[in-house]
Formats: sequence, C-alpha cells, structure tokens
Amino acid sequence: MTVCTKCGNPKVVITRKQSGQSLCSDCFIKSIEKKVQKTIRREKLITKGDKVMVALSGGKDSVVTLDILNSYRERHVIDLCAVTIDEGIKGYRDEGVRIAVDHAKRLGIEHEVVSFKDCFNIDLDEIMKTDNHRGSCTYCGVFRRWIINRQARKFGATKIATGHNLDDESEAILMNYLEGNINNLSSLGAITTSKSPKFTPKIKPLREIPEKEVGLYALCKGLEIHLAGCPYAQESFRMEVANILKDLSKNHPTIMYSTLKGYDKIKPLVKENYALEYHDGDCEICGEPSSNKLCRACTFLKELGKEVNI
Amino acid sequence: MSFTASFQNKEETKDFKEGLTIQDVLDDLELSSETVVAKQNGDIVVEDTEIQDGDEIKLIQIIYGG
Ligand SMILES: [Zn+2]
Ligand SMILES: [Zn+2]
Repeated sequence: MTVCTKCGNPKVVITRKQSGQSLCSDCFIKSIEKKVQKTIRREKLITKGDKVMVALSGGKDSVVTLDILNSYRERHVIDLCAVTIDEGIKGYRDEGVRIAVDHAKRLGIEHEVVSFKDCFNIDLDEIMKTDNHRGSCTYCGVFRRWIINRQARKFGATKIATGHNLDDESEAILMNYLEGNINNLSSLGAITTSKSPKFTPKIKPLREIPEKEVGLYALCKGLEIHLAGCPYAQESFRMEVANILKDLSKNHPTIMYSTLKGYDKIKPLVKENYALEYHDGDCEICGEPSSNKLCRACTFLKELGKEVNI
Repeated sequence: MSFTASFQNKEETKDFKEGLTIQDVLDDLELSSETVVAKQNGDIVVEDTEIQDGDEIKLIQIIYGG
C-alpha cells in the first residue's frame, strides 16, 4: 500500500510521475504553497507594500492564485484586491461570478465585477450573433485585457496576478515558437513589465504548477471553484498544441517543466533582440496605450458599430 | 455486491469485482486521469486505489479544454 512519502499517512491524494513521490492532502498542500513561494521569491514577483489585483474568474486557477496570495496579505506583506469580468455568456458566467463574489467576501477584499455590456455596450452573446465576427476568443482576449488594465489603475494596483499554470505557459511557449512568433515569445514569462506607465506589471505565481495539481489543490483545501468549460471554446491551434504536450507528458512527465525552463534561459536573449512593443501613443477614443490611432478594443468595437463607455 | 460511480450529475450502480481499481472505472467511462480527480467515500484517492463493496465513487472533472 502506498503511503505519503513525507509523513507516512496512508491517505495519499497524488503520486507524482515525475518524482515517484506520493503525498497526503496536508503534505500536498504544503508542497504547492512552497513551490509557489519559491517562484515568487526567485522571480521577484512581489515586493513588500505591493497592492496586487487578482483577475478572478471563479475558476480553479484564479481561485488558487487568490488563496495563495492571501497568505501574503495575512502576513501584511501585500494588499489584495480582485476584478471579475462578466463577458455576458448566458448559462455559464453567472456561476463563476457568484463564486468569485463569495471568495472576495469571505476574505474581505476589495472586489469589482465589470461587464462587457457596461464597458462596451455589447456582450459576448450578442457579438456571437453578429455576422462576420472574429471568433469569441479574439474578443474575449482583447476586451478582458482592456478591462484588467483599466481596473488595475482604478484600484491603484501595483501588480496584476493571473492564474496561468504550467500547462498554459508551456503551451504558449511552444505555440509561439512553432508559429515563429518571436515578438509574442518575448512577452511571456513569470513577470511582464512595460515601459508605458499605463500598464501595470503582470505576474503568474502558478506558472510552475501543473494544471491538474492546481485543481487538486483547490479540492484538497475545500475551495469552491467553478467547474465548467466555456460554451464558446472551439478547436484552435492552441488546443492542438495543448494536446501534443499532454500526450508527450504521459511518457515524459517533465516535458512541460523543461519547456518552461529552457524558455526562461533564452528569454533574456530574445528580449534583447526583440524588444516588447512600446506603445508611445494613446488610443484616440479610449485613451489606452496604443501604437495605432485606435487600440484593438476600439477597432473591434467600431466594426461592431459600438463604442466604449468611458 | 455493487458500488456507485457518479460523474457530472449522473450516478450509476456498477457490479463489484475483487481487485477493481479507480483506473478501471475511469477506463470504463473513457475518462482520463489527467483531467479527472476521484473521490472514494468523500476522500480524494489515486487511480490505483482498490474499490470496495458498497463504495461511493465520485469523479470530478477539473480540466476543461479551451
Ligand atoms: Zn503527508
Ligand atoms: Zn481604445
């Protein structure tokens, strides 16, 4: 019978393929917390006095990010706040929003729910009913980023924390590499900063934690999470890459981690030669940083016959 | 001699056989241990855990594509 490698408890919740290590719930929780703390320290993700805004969807990744960062708040290292984005996806988003609101209330942190409808006068369900739309994920990505950047300034946040896990990050690295998209490649990593004062640095505390372990952590800690897939999720190149990596991981359990570590080694070289795009101007309509007359969000809205609410 | 297996609000009663594991149930339902966590009578367990007569097995999908 398998017992916990650390304490001998026979109630094992995971056997890690990469190390052969078996852990009980308590030892597993501790191991994840330690690993995340190590990432935060090594990559200097937070400094004392930071106000960190978590992009909180109510899904496992953002709820676990909030939970772990809250231990820093309890020790008065940082202040914490959260934003939840309501894209307007009927039968899907409401439950996530409710869970996000509950977590924020439970912890007693500043929290705001911001909807596409309030900001852009149109929600995702409505966009998907229009002709010639660009696909749900394109709008979601651009509109969410617009809201997150703006809300971070409203809160006076000094960092934005997102829930990207090891699977997400290694997918993004491989995908951009395979597409030869070196400019995008240079903007990945544990912390992303920009020269523009309008952009708040983004941090990814969970980027070394496998996706399954993020979910397992939430279950072990009894954290309520929104378990559902987005109804607009579609076959994409990203998904194909994700499947390749997941398949490879079966016989090579450390492949995602080595993809990440290899990338971290070449990142300084990539950054030197492919500097992050620097937006020296502001969007004529909304005032967000943009290298063109209109930012991406305003460009999309113009196509849809809408405009931002400022 | 039986046990119950539930997945996404669907509960099934299954015949119990000596030596049956969580992995066998996952295979039977064509689920992957990479995306699903199993609970045996409320406790999270690993895939090679043996099922006992009368067990309540709950399978929770924690990874969704997209
Ligand atoms: Zn233990
Ligand atoms: Zn704009």
